[in-house]
Amino acid sequence: MSQEPLFSIRNLTVEYVTRAGVVKAAEDISFDIRRQEILGLVGESGCGKSTLGKALMRLHRPPARIAGGQLLFEGRDLMKLSEEQMCSIRGAEIGMVFQDPMTSLNPVQRIIEHLTETIHAHEPETTDEEARARAAALAEKLGIRAERLKEYPHQMSGGMRQRVMISLALALRAKLVIADEPTTSLDVIVEAKFLDLLRELRQEFGLTILLITHNIGVVAEVADRVAVMYAARLVEIGDVNEIFANSKHPYTQGLLRSVPNIELDGEPLYKMEGMPPNLLHPPAGCRFHPRCPFAMEICRRETPALETVGPDHQAACWLYHPAAAKSEQHG
Amino acid sequence: MPASDQNNPEIWQDELQHVGFVRRLLMARKWYGADWWFVAISAVMVLGFIFVALFPDLIAPYGPDEIVGTSFLAPGAYPVVPVLLVRTDSTAQALMDLAVPENAERPAIGVIMGGPTATALREHAQEIDEQLTSGKTGLRLRPRIERYASLEELLNDVSSGKLQAGVVDLHEFEKLASRYPQLRTGDSITGETAAAGGFLMGTNEIGQDVFSRLIWGTRVAILVGFTSSILSLLAGLPLGLMAGYLGGTFDRLLSLVMDSLYAFPGLILAIAVTAVLGPSMYNVILAIAVLYVPTYYRIVRGQTLAVKEEVYIEAARSIGATRREILWRYIYPNVIPSVAIIFSVNVADAILTGAGLSFLGLGMPPTIADWGIDLARGQRFIQTAWWLITYPGLAIMLVVLAFTMMGEGLMEIYNPKLRER
Amino acid sequence: MKPISFILLILGVPLALMLLYVFLKGSMGLRKYILTRIALTLPMVFILASLVFFIMRVLPGDPVRSALGPRGTAEQAEHMRQALGLDKPLLVQYGIFLKDMVTFNFGNSMVGGHRPIIDEMSERFPATLELIIPSSIVALVIGIWGGTWAAARRKTIVDYSLRLYSVIIYSLPIFWFGLMLQLLFGIRFKLLPVAGRIDPVIRTTLQPVTNLYMIDSILSGNWPALASALSHLVLPTITLGLVLSGVFVRITRINVIETLQADYIAAARARGIRERVVVYGHALKNAMIPVITLIGLQVAILLAGAVLTETIFNWPGMGGYLVQRISARDYTAVQSVIAMFALLVALISLLVDLIYSLLDPRVRY
Repeated sequence: MSQEPLFSIRNLTVEYVTRAGVVKAAEDISFDIRRQEILGLVGESGCGKSTLGKALMRLHRPPARIAGGQLLFEGRDLMKLSEEQMCSIRGAEIGMVFQDPMTSLNPVQRIIEHLTETIHAHEPETTDEEARARAAALAEKLGIRAERLKEYPHQMSGGMRQRVMISLALALRAKLVIADEPTTSLDVIVEAKFLDLLRELRQEFGLTILLITHNIGVVAEVADRVAVMYAARLVEIGDVNEIFANSKHPYTQGLLRSVPNIELDGEPLYKMEGMPPNLLHPPAGCRFHPRCPFAMEICRRETPALETVGPDHQAACWLYHPAAAKSEQHG
Repeated sequence: MPASDQNNPEIWQDELQHVGFVRRLLMARKWYGADWWFVAISAVMVLGFIFVALFPDLIAPYGPDEIVGTSFLAPGAYPVVPVLLVRTDSTAQALMDLAVPENAERPAIGVIMGGPTATALREHAQEIDEQLTSGKTGLRLRPRIERYASLEELLNDVSSGKLQAGVVDLHEFEKLASRYPQLRTGDSITGETAAAGGFLMGTNEIGQDVFSRLIWGTRVAILVGFTSSILSLLAGLPLGLMAGYLGGTFDRLLSLVMDSLYAFPGLILAIAVTAVLGPSMYNVILAIAVLYVPTYYRIVRGQTLAVKEEVYIEAARSIGATRREILWRYIYPNVIPSVAIIFSVNVADAILTGAGLSFLGLGMPPTIADWGIDLARGQRFIQTAWWLITYPGLAIMLVVLAFTMMGEGLMEIYNPKLRER
Repeated sequence: MKPISFILLILGVPLALMLLYVFLKGSMGLRKYILTRIALTLPMVFILASLVFFIMRVLPGDPVRSALGPRGTAEQAEHMRQALGLDKPLLVQYGIFLKDMVTFNFGNSMVGGHRPIIDEMSERFPATLELIIPSSIVALVIGIWGGTWAAARRKTIVDYSLRLYSVIIYSLPIFWFGLMLQLLFGIRFKLLPVAGRIDPVIRTTLQPVTNLYMIDSILSGNWPALASALSHLVLPTITLGLVLSGVFVRITRINVIETLQADYIAAARARGIRERVVVYGHALKNAMIPVITLIGLQVAILLAGAVLTETIFNWPGMGGYLVQRISARDYTAVQSVIAMFALLVALISLLVDLIYSLLDPRVRY
């Protein structure tokens, strides 16, 4: 994997302007997506990960808006591009795979047309013949037989539709694919196949994948690195094995403990105390402090930044900040 | 730990619990923006119209059938009443008084060029002259008629004595009377007395005040609209609930009939019914009521079907709720908001259809003051009296608009599918 | 050949062909759908016609007395009753009525010249057609384009203006609107004619083949007739078309807004498809499905509006005929006209359903 990150997100803040007030769905998020890696982005429902995913392609719609930050994709700041220019990036350089393949496909458009339209949108000089040939070839690679291409979405099974979605994202050899909860609506077997497919594609096309999910198991299965979000902030990020073995942030620890373990023998399932905060009026300081068993005085007042806590491992927690530990000892 | 504890300020949802209805209404303004204004403005208009319908005498200057003035008066116009104009020191009162012996100097009388006063003078002078000659009185009335372009010149010349008298429009003179204290009016030339004038919207072909008829017509319109809608509601709501909840052949049969009715042009059906029953307000209300039953039926049935599948219905059944209880306590309250919205639009539609029927001459008996009838009557005089059709039509439009806006606005607010995600 | 037969041919043949095409080419599901639709149309016409029958017979009021007027003798009344078959028991009358309807035997006009009603309708049906078709086109163009535009520009001035427009137009009494247009363009500014379908002098130069003046004049190359027919068509079409467009704007707007919230729209944007294509290509195409159905239901408003428009503009169509016959107490004619309207409504509904089935692939496959 090359050194230069494919996508650098710096201090990204995405907020929703609602009638009840301004809600920050993603606050001051900074991380890199490295080339040809599969980065998993996990968090509870409502923590802001889907919003983040959409915002990375500037796909978000009002009332959501990007309040600040930089989106450096291959060195270019996407924030500075016009809508026209963004259109040429979407689908061609960055692709998206959505959660529900049934509703993500146009019910009155044939599958082949989905593909050829995408090709034409970005490469208008392509003839219909060429476009169709390319589409057929791509579909074949993903296990979709050519005869099925002239069908409509409702005539296909769930797993097949999800493959169509991937093929759409890859139609123009996108470099980055953002997969937003891609397996949530699939059953376990199809999900396994899907994850295998993702690995293959990464191998064959040199794809980079940002996998957004609330399912830690999927992340453990297929990701290289994982990022954990809580209440609109990034709390931990690092190599997947490292984090699973040595999670540092109390939230991550709680998350991992919550996964039902087949070896549990009659013990009650672990449940984290408390509820995720209301993002309209989030708690001061570290967002997690009301529920954190290790909360200190400083946690109530100041928000921690991401600090390196291990090899390819960063966490945002005062527990690992030397200054904080000292002040706690003295205070 | 609860989400809103001492650390968090009380959020507006909690606050809402504590305030009264009025403050809630005002807070909603911030929430809904322009749609709130839509509903608010139309609600005010609707209340206004209802008020007018309930108390027309407070606003209308005259009764609906009162004949108040000359026919075909344009809005704000006064009928022309030609009167004799003389100096205050003159003894003349009527035109006759200006008669002079055979060979005496003929009196000079001024008139406005080409106006109705000129014609009046000429005709009546001739008449009087003939009377005088045939009566062998020795007097003649053959005035030297001086034509003027402006009223002021005429008045000046009468003041200065250049003219013995003038014949002017009473109303026009009264406008300038204060500047000419040395002049006074005498009798009317034509015998007509000062007729009333200056009606806000003019008068119609038999001399009734258009404005008053407009106000009184509100009563009819609102009555027809509300009554027929309520009747439709009373019929359609239970039918829809039952069909939706019970299903089966009852549902299918009823739906077939209702769908056929719904697809058929309502106006035509109403025309058929009133044609056979005869013109009367009750028949109109009945016909229109029948027309809208399918609308309520369909919406209520649709809502019932949707609600019926909800899990809480099943839960209710499992704890032993009877059919009637389920219908009444669970399904009915969910159906009410949509019904309220349709009701509003329904009233609007009913008023339109009622007016249409009257316009075609098939609705009310012609004795009732109604906008549709006024429009139909005014249609014949479209070339000359534009105000006869403009104002009643405008009134219909405003009332229907108010109700429609209210329904539309409410729908934008209540319909979750239209909200932002 | 009678004009009405010609018209029915012009309309019926393409309809039948389309039906055949869809039937043969479609899947099993589609065929079932079409058969069901046709099967439902018949009861609809049946129900409506029966309704008409019962209204005329069962409601109080004696049609014969009213038709004859106060000077009719008892003998004449009895004679007329017999001629109309009103003396037979109700069920028998109903049977005869149904038979007559099916064979298009409308009988003769009760009042006036006693002309066969079918002849009178022959002349007037094309007139109504010539009014409602252009009006529908105007309404559809304004409605669909306007509604989509408003939905695409939600919460902007475009959206609010179009919503205001549709609400105001919807509240306009169509007869008043027509009168105002007459006042403005016909009387104040003397631009356009206000009554009739064509200049009566020019009319004599035109051979009625289909009785659709526009087509007839083109067929015979009679350009002055075409010009006259067109100029007479302008005001009525604007009246009916504009008033109808209000409803269409509203329906389209709501459905396009809903469609735009769908996931596949976001997915299309994610593929870099331009917003304009997304809205007019993807969203509108999908929204058309419910929109067509809903608009099809508005045919009732179209016909009701046509009746009023014809009355104002002295347009010699079926609507005007209906009103006229009611005033004349000619119940046979009234009954027949309403039955024709019912048939028209049923046919248009069927047509709309067919179009819907062609648009939605979920029905076809």
